[in-house]
Amino acid sequence: MTAREVTVLALDSCLTEVMAIPGALDAMLVDHTSGMAVSFSGQPNGVDADKAAAALTEMLRASMDGLARTCPGDTVRIGDLLISTDQGHHLIRVMDTLFEGPLVIYVRLDAERSNIALARHRLRAISEQLLA
Amino acid sequence: MPSLDTLLSGLAKERATGALRIGRTGTVYLDDGRITYMTCTRVPGAERLLAAAGRVPESALRRMQSDGGTDRLLEEGRVTLGELQYCVLGAVLDAAFFLLPATGTRPKFRPGEGHWLGGRWYFDVPGLVRECARRRARLAETWPRADADTAPVRLAPRLAGQSVTLTDVQWEVAVRADGEATPLELAKRMGRSGYAVLLAVRRLAAAGLIVTEEAAPLPQRVKRLDLSRPRTAAPAGGGPLGPAVNGDPTDIELLLRLRKALEELS
Repeated sequence: MTAREVTVLALDSCLTEVMAIPGALDAMLVDHTSGMAVSFSGQPNGVDADKAAAALTEMLRASMDGLARTCPGDTVRIGDLLISTDQGHHLIRVMDTLFEGPLVIYVRLDAERSNIALARHRLRAISEQLLA
Repeated sequence: MPSLDTLLSGLAKERATGALRIGRTGTVYLDDGRITYMTCTRVPGAERLLAAAGRVPESALRRMQSDGGTDRLLEEGRVTLGELQYCVLGAVLDAAFFLLPATGTRPKFRPGEGHWLGGRWYFDVPGLVRECARRRARLAETWPRADADTAPVRLAPRLAGQSVTLTDVQWEVAVRADGEATPLELAKRMGRSGYAVLLAVRRLAAAGLIVTEEAAPLPQRVKRLDLSRPRTAAPAGGGPLGPAVNGDPTDIELLLRLRKALEELS
């Protein structure tokens, strides 16, 4: 192995790291192929994790399809997706995996307390620790 | 005979450790009442998925299975812990999807037996049952006809529209479909999970890209009513679930697609 220290992140503990991002309100790890919520933390009231994961999967699929038609010839590989609303931000990181996937990290951020650039940077670092 | 999930719930309550063999269809591995791994002969296992991804050759995996196990796999840096967990998670849920409904054979429990890839992620029985039901519902939502799961995949020679967008799995299905292989046979060749391929095929069917046994890809406009056409058709492929198909399959195909389009509009 190289001298570089690599922190190993497990699938079940990576959301703890995601929730440590300043301004994070809730987070979810979703398997895009099956639309399954792999793990989630602190869902807001009245939100069912399974339904939220399914909805997120459909949204991502629509984005991929839409972009594939908008920029044909450009292989569409979404890295991350940011949606800002009047209440806050939704940041989605799409991680390509070897076998299936992609695996998706979703985090909802508070509008006041979060910094989008920092959150994006941290989320990328987490995904690199998870799947090298 | 009790169903497989009641049997597994019982073993979980007893905090059993060992392997439950379900005939020739597959095996469930438990450790202290928790499910650690599951295999089903109908779908590729985690080893096949890892090998198909090109990261670890199958010979190296066999070597590690007898010497070093998953610790060595991780130490050698071939896969990260997250990747291994994700791969096991996918393989076990895929096996559960096809194994849990299995009936007919009397399961045999062998205490103490374990699987070398187990122990990196644990599953509980209610969670597995719920997830399998969710996956089944998602298949039905995508395209309601279950015969797409068992029939050989035959692609329509022409598009009904002008262009089409395919996902990566759909592309692989399109490339490998030879008109004879069923979705699960394709999954094994591709090294993809069975469920991913079933879903891809049902999406292709919903888009009108699959030719079913009895029907042409698009119903032809009929100038006059042809009374000689048979009004009933037996379901293909040894009987899918659901009620028998009555009426002209061509019309049913059109109605199903119409219904799906209306559902998408609402």
